[in-house]
Amino acid sequence: GLEELALLERLLGLPKGNKYGVQGERKVPVLQTNDGLGLTGLMTIAAHLVKQAKKDQLLGSTAEEKAVVQQWLEYRVTRVDGGSSKEDTRIILKDLNVHLEDKVYLAGNIFTLADILMYYGLHHVMVELTVQEKEKYLNVSRWFNHIQHYPGVRQHLSNVVFIKNTLYTNAD
Amino acid sequence: MGFGDLKSAAGLRVLNDFLADKSYIEGYVPSQADIAVFEAIAAPPPADLYHALRWYNHIKSYEKQKASLPGVKKALAKYGPADVEDTTGAATDNKNDDDIDLFGSDDEEESEEAKKLREERLAQYESKKSKKPAVVAKSSILLDVKPWDDETDMAKLEECVRSIQADGLVWGSSKLVPVGYGIKKLQIQCVVEDDKVGTDMLEERITAFEDYVQSMDVAAFNKI
Repeated sequence: GLEELALLERLLGLPKGNKYGVQGERKVPVLQTNDGLGLTGLMTIAAHLVKQAKKDQLLGSTAEEKAVVQQWLEYRVTRVDGGSSKEDTRIILKDLNVHLEDKVYLAGNIFTLADILMYYGLHHVMVELTVQEKEKYLNVSRWFNHIQHYPGVRQHLSNVVFIKNTLYTNAD
Repeated sequence: MGFGDLKSAAGLRVLNDFLADKSYIEGYVPSQADIAVFEAIAAPPPADLYHALRWYNHIKSYEKQKASLPGVKKALAKYGPADVEDTTGAATDNKNDDDIDLFGSDDEEESEEAKKLREERLAQYESKKSKKPAVVAKSSILLDVKPWDDETDMAKLEECVRSIQADGLVWGSSKLVPVGYGIKKLQIQCVVEDDKVGTDMLEERITAFEDYVQSMDVAAFNKI
């Protein structure tokens, strides 16, 4: 939660100054901004930081893009952070693999906050995948490898290695 | 390098396979490399080549910025998998009036087309000159890798085997085959260039992982 927000602040190029705290058993992040505003919740704070940095395009430009971004932010909180059994993870990877079949980024052709927070949220999962699983969820692997190379995103997180091992068949 | 003949279905399949794990032709941002390949393709790839189609639609969204994308447009033979040639012929590159040139304006068309033709002909001549005299002899080998016991971590064992990299060695698919007493052996396919990689070398390097591997056998060996 808080560590992720620190990564996000650095990625967005925000100066230090925001004060954070946690609330309740589930340690929900809380932000106290300079003008006295109190905001609760990872996604709410993340969206606010994006606006603070004046990078609103990261929330999507068209109405459709904005909706898709929100969809994946909600997915991150309810599915990725919520459930964590092996079966839950399998379903998440399957959902993502299908969604990313025809898209470079989660919202299609543009890089958004959805890509950033899904990357941070899934890092601990991707690190543990076997070579075969990475091949099975090929589109997720492609997307994850792309996002971790996006300037400013990975920071101190470990680089997940993806090797393509499929038998190369000669063109006819 | 190259993708074969990008104007043919076979060439598009090579492109599709290449793009399965990549967002772009080179690196992690759209560049002139993507534009070069995009312009060599006649129409959007078919739906079954969904990696190529995904890439195509994505690059198309950069239509307005194509001139300012980083890099320098090179001949097609400079992109793609290392062991494939570019055979996208200048002969089939017709300046058809009916062709919809997605990017170019009418004024630019003349010099850009001529320039592209010249570049492609040069690349073809270059690749023909440096072409290997003989077809490279390859073999498809099926290896049986046996662990010490049923408690050996087979996933780690497989990672160790696949981490063996060599010029002329490509790993293929694999599966776990039970051999009794709860023990499973790893059966893994590979394709090797005969004069670069031999089974002795493979055996040496695989059995070097002493913690996981008890022994390795060649289950099948076929010339391709």
